[in-house]
Amino acid sequence: MAFEIPKVKYTGQIREVVIGSGSKAVKVGGAGCYPFYLFEGEMPNPPRVAFEVWDSAPEEWQEWAIEPFRDVINDPVLWAKKCIESYGAEMIVLQLKSADPNGDNRPVEDVVEVVKNVAAAIDVPLLVWGTANDEKDAELLRRITEVSEGGNVAVGPVSDKNYKQIGAMAIGYKQVVIASSPIDVNLAKQLNILLTNLGVNEDKILMDPTTGGLGYGLEYTYSVMERDRMAALTQEDAKLQFPIICNSAPEVWKTRETRLTKEDDPKLGDEKRRSVLMEAVTAMTLLVAGADIVVMRHPDSVSLVKDMIGELCA
Amino acid sequence: MPQEYRIKFLPSDRVFPAERGDNLLEIAMQAGVHINASCGGRGVCGKCRVRIAGGSVESSGNPLLSDDDRAMGFRLACSSSITEDAVVEIPLESQIDRSILARSATLTDANVSAADELLTRLYGREPLVARYNCELPKPDANDNISDAARVARAVSVRAGCGEPAFPLGILRELSIDLREADWSITADVAPDTCEITRVARGNRESAHYAVAVDIGTTTVTAELIDCLASSAGSMVLASSTDYNGQISYGEDVISRIMYCRKRRGLTKLHDVIMSTINALISDIVPDAKVDAADITHIVAAGNTTMMHLFYGIDPRHIMLAPYTPAATAFSPSGVRGLGFMPGLDARLYSVPGVSSYVGGDIVSGVALSGMTEKGGISLFMDIGTNGEIVLGNNEWLLCASCSAGPAFEGGGIGFGMRAAPGAIEKVRINQATLEPMILTIGRVRPLGICGSGLIDLVAELFIGGIIDRNGRFSLQKQGIRLREGPNGMEYVLCFASETGTERDITLTEIDLDNIMRTKAAVYAGCSVLLQNGGIGFTDLDSVIIAGGFGHSIDIEKAIIIGLLPQLPVDRFRFMGNASLGGARTAAVSRGFFAKTADIARSMTNIELSENAQFMNEFMAAMFLPHTDDRAFPEVIDALKAGRE
Repeated sequence: MAFEIPKVKYTGQIREVVIGSGSKAVKVGGAGCYPFYLFEGEMPNPPRVAFEVWDSAPEEWQEWAIEPFRDVINDPVLWAKKCIESYGAEMIVLQLKSADPNGDNRPVEDVVEVVKNVAAAIDVPLLVWGTANDEKDAELLRRITEVSEGGNVAVGPVSDKNYKQIGAMAIGYKQVVIASSPIDVNLAKQLNILLTNLGVNEDKILMDPTTGGLGYGLEYTYSVMERDRMAALTQEDAKLQFPIICNSAPEVWKTRETRLTKEDDPKLGDEKRRSVLMEAVTAMTLLVAGADIVVMRHPDSVSLVKDMIGELCA
Repeated sequence: MPQEYRIKFLPSDRVFPAERGDNLLEIAMQAGVHINASCGGRGVCGKCRVRIAGGSVESSGNPLLSDDDRAMGFRLACSSSITEDAVVEIPLESQIDRSILARSATLTDANVSAADELLTRLYGREPLVARYNCELPKPDANDNISDAARVARAVSVRAGCGEPAFPLGILRELSIDLREADWSITADVAPDTCEITRVARGNRESAHYAVAVDIGTTTVTAELIDCLASSAGSMVLASSTDYNGQISYGEDVISRIMYCRKRRGLTKLHDVIMSTINALISDIVPDAKVDAADITHIVAAGNTTMMHLFYGIDPRHIMLAPYTPAATAFSPSGVRGLGFMPGLDARLYSVPGVSSYVGGDIVSGVALSGMTEKGGISLFMDIGTNGEIVLGNNEWLLCASCSAGPAFEGGGIGFGMRAAPGAIEKVRINQATLEPMILTIGRVRPLGICGSGLIDLVAELFIGGIIDRNGRFSLQKQGIRLREGPNGMEYVLCFASETGTERDITLTEIDLDNIMRTKAAVYAGCSVLLQNGGIGFTDLDSVIIAGGFGHSIDIEKAIIIGLLPQLPVDRFRFMGNASLGGARTAAVSRGFFAKTADIARSMTNIELSENAQFMNEFMAAMFLPHTDDRAFPEVIDALKAGRE
């Protein structure tokens, strides 16, 4: 008898979720096997990279992170367009940093205006990432689901504290919600149950397991995502069969290792190359753990990651 | 000399002297006046409310006391100090009422006597200390062996244990005793060491009694047992229960251990528990018209910390990793030097424990439950401040203790209280109007909510859609009953006008969080034990629920909130105070007492406090009924039906 490689028996499948509308809408999820285990099953929709755009000029970005966007960094609309036109972005994550009550605390309507303008200017799917402040987001993201009616945008992070307010509006305006939980399988599952009980359609949910950057708790996220996927694919846990999104860019780029220059510490080598690799390795790791969307910043790291996805899916 | 003030406590009318600056809570404690104080006087629990009815005290403001309360004269005793003569009224909610305790004890007897009967048949009915009347032949020229040898000769024939040993104390009195009693004496013999524990004058073989004591963290119960009773039913001559006097020094074992670290703290707690036990014994002995001298032995069962305090052993290492108690088994000994009441000269036995957090009370209960006699697998749960769980059958036993928290005993719950008159014990809620229907223990005006009431309340709120699956109130249902309170949303179970406390009785989201944590810890502890045993809930033959808490809970409601696993109701069995039952059975059955030692030895303890699997199960259980819907299919179906 010929030798046969043992295979994992899958009993579940990740749901497919469509984000955006029109010809550039993107479908994610659908996998019937562990990430890139194409010898055991299928991944009908390859994982995607989303470019991040901030809603106002970032103040603390490294020189080498600003460089690719220097001409557009003061204008979120132009910034988003440049990502699409120059760097081939397939989705845009608009990070509503300026609304953060611990920062500029910009009023809701001002921020909503920015979202409206960006949404109108781009044709790729838009994902809107709030402040992670439960109260502010409840107000802000509700308004955003409203003004982007018909766009099928994804809004998040939605927590167990504000899922009712945001979830109800997302149902009404047919948007996708990003269910965010603090690195725990059970908490992720609980939030998904709460959202579906509220009436959110099962093809309108993305999961955000909360991520840390490389060297800053990434391994913790990794094992939780791994367990999410094991439960979803091999233990028929229907409440975990949702695509995963990782908002990794802000985590990577705030680490000390992406901030120190070669002059600060010659042992660490060239800062740009180092930062790009830090971001690429973080994203690749998350993809191997089961991410369907990774949020990234630098075009060079995006290109490395896209190469990897292409090769692993070939 | 500083001026002395007089502090009068109402309604007891007790007057106690104090000096300027003395703390009111401490004065009350010294005066023997009980005031609820679950946080040990740190000013964080808000339970030690008292009303100043005359004079004044100096009191710092506290967010737990509203301005209205202050205007009405309410203060927190723990943050009040004496400035002049004062009259202090103890509010109803702080007054201890013993009647409920007596009630629970009667319920227990009915449940347990059948088990007693069965077990004594299995393990024999030979009391731990035997009592023999000996009519000794008077010494003469042919038979002039020593007095002790004479007694030994007679005893060894009866006891069949070889040559008995005499403690020095007995030898010193022996010659006079024998002659005064005209060579008719009664000898008490401990067969385990073949030691004569006492020699009494005359024939007292027909008066042979023992005392069984259950030393709980919250309550202590003592029973007077007739060792010669023909059946288990007629064995208990008298019984009495009281709160453990140590309550005033902290509600849970950890705060008691903390108290021991104070100067003379250990001595104080030992004295307090001994005075509680002595009071109980003085209650039951005259009740049954028994001479305390005819009590030959005492069997005690309690958790490991309580046993340390009872024996006066420093328990501090119980709470420090790696959680090593000084001892879990205590050799039989005389009662001298322990602080028992005078006139009592009995031999003291204790049911051995397993670890720091699985004590002799659990071993005693497990032995009594009969789960170790059967091949079918049982789960034994004692839900108190610590949830102790034992899984196994006649071949193996696993045990664990999870710090469930005192929610079901009233701790950490704004209006929580122990099961005492005035405690709301049953709740139904009209799902359309949100109006509740409540029953209190003793059918009096409500003072607070006890464990069974909390289970009912949460289950009703959940099934009615008033709280969602993560224990948060639904904003859509806001109204008179569901309102915004000082600590977020709250459900009003009773308005002030209907209560005995002049305050609205409410359940807040903070309370809900605490209940969720408690029930999750218990369920997670069970899950981990089952996983370690390689079985699932459905493989269980029976689930045995012990502890004072377990008398009146509604199984179905407890399943709805995910405290108990979803199993057919007939697999659940209540045992009441199983620890006491075990101690009682041991008192009359040497074989059964030996069995408890076997059980303690054969239990494998699973430490949950730093167990990753437990944390994972705990998070999964922090949901109503549980994150895994498949474990509670009927509850999920009921919920779906409710929504449609």
